Amino acid sequence: MMKGIKLGVPIFLIVFSGLFFISSLQLPKANLGNPNAPLYFPAGISILMLLLSVVYLFQELKHAAKDNKEIRQLFSGRTPKLIAATIGLGGCYALVFDQIGFLLSTAFFLGGLLFFINGRKKWLINCIVAVSFSFLTWYAFSQLLGVSLP
Amino acid sequence: MDVNSFMEGFSIAIQPINIVWIIIGGFLGTIVGMLPGLGPATAVAVLIPMTFGMNPVSAIILMAAIYYGAMYGGSRSSILLNTPGDGSAIAATFDGYPMARKGMAGQALAISAIASFIGGLIAVVGFIFLAEPLASFALEFGPAEYFLLMLLTLSAIVSLSIGKMVKGFLAMTIGLALSTVGIDTQTGIYRFTLGSSHLSEGIDFLIVIIGVYAIGEVLYNLLSIDEQRQEKKKVGKVWFSKEQWRRAKWPILRSGPLGFIIGVLPGAGGSIASMISYTTERQLSKRSSEFGNGAVEGLAAPESANNSASVGAMIPLLTMGIPGSGTTAVMLGALIMLGLRPGPLLFDQQPETAWALINSMFIGNIALVIINILLVGVLVKVLDTPPKVLYPMIVVLAFIGTYTLSYTTFDFFFLLLFGVIGLFMKVLDFPIAPLVLALIVGSDMEQNFRMALSSSNGSFGIFFSSGVSIALIALTMLSLLYPLAVHWMKRKGQSRPENQMYKSS
Repeated sequence: MMKGIKLGVPIFLIVFSGLFFISSLQLPKANLGNPNAPLYFPAGISILMLLLSVVYLFQELKHAAKDNKEIRQLFSGRTPKLIAATIGLGGCYALVFDQIGFLLSTAFFLGGLLFFINGRKKWLINCIVAVSFSFLTWYAFSQLLGVSLP
Repeated sequence: MDVNSFMEGFSIAIQPINIVWIIIGGFLGTIVGMLPGLGPATAVAVLIPMTFGMNPVSAIILMAAIYYGAMYGGSRSSILLNTPGDGSAIAATFDGYPMARKGMAGQALAISAIASFIGGLIAVVGFIFLAEPLASFALEFGPAEYFLLMLLTLSAIVSLSIGKMVKGFLAMTIGLALSTVGIDTQTGIYRFTLGSSHLSEGIDFLIVIIGVYAIGEVLYNLLSIDEQRQEKKKVGKVWFSKEQWRRAKWPILRSGPLGFIIGVLPGAGGSIASMISYTTERQLSKRSSEFGNGAVEGLAAPESANNSASVGAMIPLLTMGIPGSGTTAVMLGALIMLGLRPGPLLFDQQPETAWALINSMFIGNIALVIINILLVGVLVKVLDTPPKVLYPMIVVLAFIGTYTLSYTTFDFFFLLLFGVIGLFMKVLDFPIAPLVLALIVGSDMEQNFRMALSSSNGSFGIFFSSGVSIALIALTMLSLLYPLAVHWMKRKGQSRPENQMYKSS
């Protein structure tokens, strides 16, 4: 996994910069001034990114076997579950935010995050924090700062 | 200096509502800045939504208060927990934490607050005298000079990523690539929008900022969430002795101007300022052997320099519209969103706004020293909040902040995407500031580049046609050579403990 991440990222960047370069060349021509003007900057950046990604790949190849504590932590213990839960709950929050309103969706979202991160044993604290923090933020943004929330 | 504008700015800054915002901003900035792992950039990013709906002058005053409040706060966690919020607070751990371990946490906090206060005041005085002449000078800049100035800023910020230059430049190219998404303002061509109307106006850099800084930081902190221990701190007496003041006063007074000058330079900022002042004082001190073991000079000097650099960093931001650091880049994004365009015309067209901000810095520094000394007990209690409760709350604040930018939940998915990108950047040791800075200045950089070339009928000679252009090119080359010089010095065996700064900047 360690090697996969270390080499996967530069390879991804090489592919990304290649695609970016091709997309730059396919940009529509401008009707005003130099027709190719909109493509020069992105094409230049993609070439620079491609060159740097290749250098980065070679740098990583040299140290591919070297341990990286943080990459190891990314896949050990309950870390992957916590990260997945944060992203998954964030996605669900985006889907229900407008449907059920700010207060309910935020209380559920925060409660869910606390349930995963702080643990189910601390359910009482989690519930109190979820409800009170959701209400306080709603009050601060909606009532005090005049931000329109669903 | 235009005395009328100065006085008008002063009268705005002392309006009761603005003083209230200064106090609230300073307090909240201190709290977020002192949370382990969250630096000033995150503090400003998370608290940006507070400024929505406010008049622009109050908003800029509030944001500046959050910024230097977070700078004060970063040092609290350095002293009490040995955990700096960002690079500029690292030097405070060298002697501040040993002082706290010796039972002098209260004295260390007080010295740090007073040093920051004096450093900040010195810098505000410098600001008053330097800002307007610099803004007038910047009015002479054409597109070629602006392009080169942005190039210098980007290369300077990448050059500080010693040992990871390739990653720094890669982060910069990613930021520049993201800045090309949306309608090309010169030709009206849609670029890389993937047919989505959401992308026609480009990727909102504030979403990227909140994503990589706030969500990215929280996800990164989840890696070690079960290892983070709560440390109960005894602060003790929150004032320093006459002897401590005698030892600290000259380092504070020397480091203030030094930090200010370094802060004004693009890319340099608080990290370099605090480290240079620390090493300078260590060389000047008769007690150099005490440095690293709780020397009061070793805490006072970097604290003064880092706060004065944070004020100095506002000069390129306000006078030229060029942010010199990750945090000022975040502020630039927020200011643009509020309808304020920092740059030389700000002093010409809205002098009262510029001078109100400068005057608010005076008041802010006074408010912060009071907050940080009188309310130290309350502030320390914040550090007792379990991270497992705190981080979910920060995630929620990031989502609310994103929603208030465009009132669409579509952006939540972007927020999560950039949060994951921020996580991987941290894990793989990519510097984040070049990405953010490049994304913010990228569009202007391209437009200035094209305008310069159009005005010269496609001749690149325009970039060498003035003394300012040539000076900017020379400075860019120097900034690129700087890491090589550091590498050479390291090989000569001159590496020092402060090199740990480079790992985290």
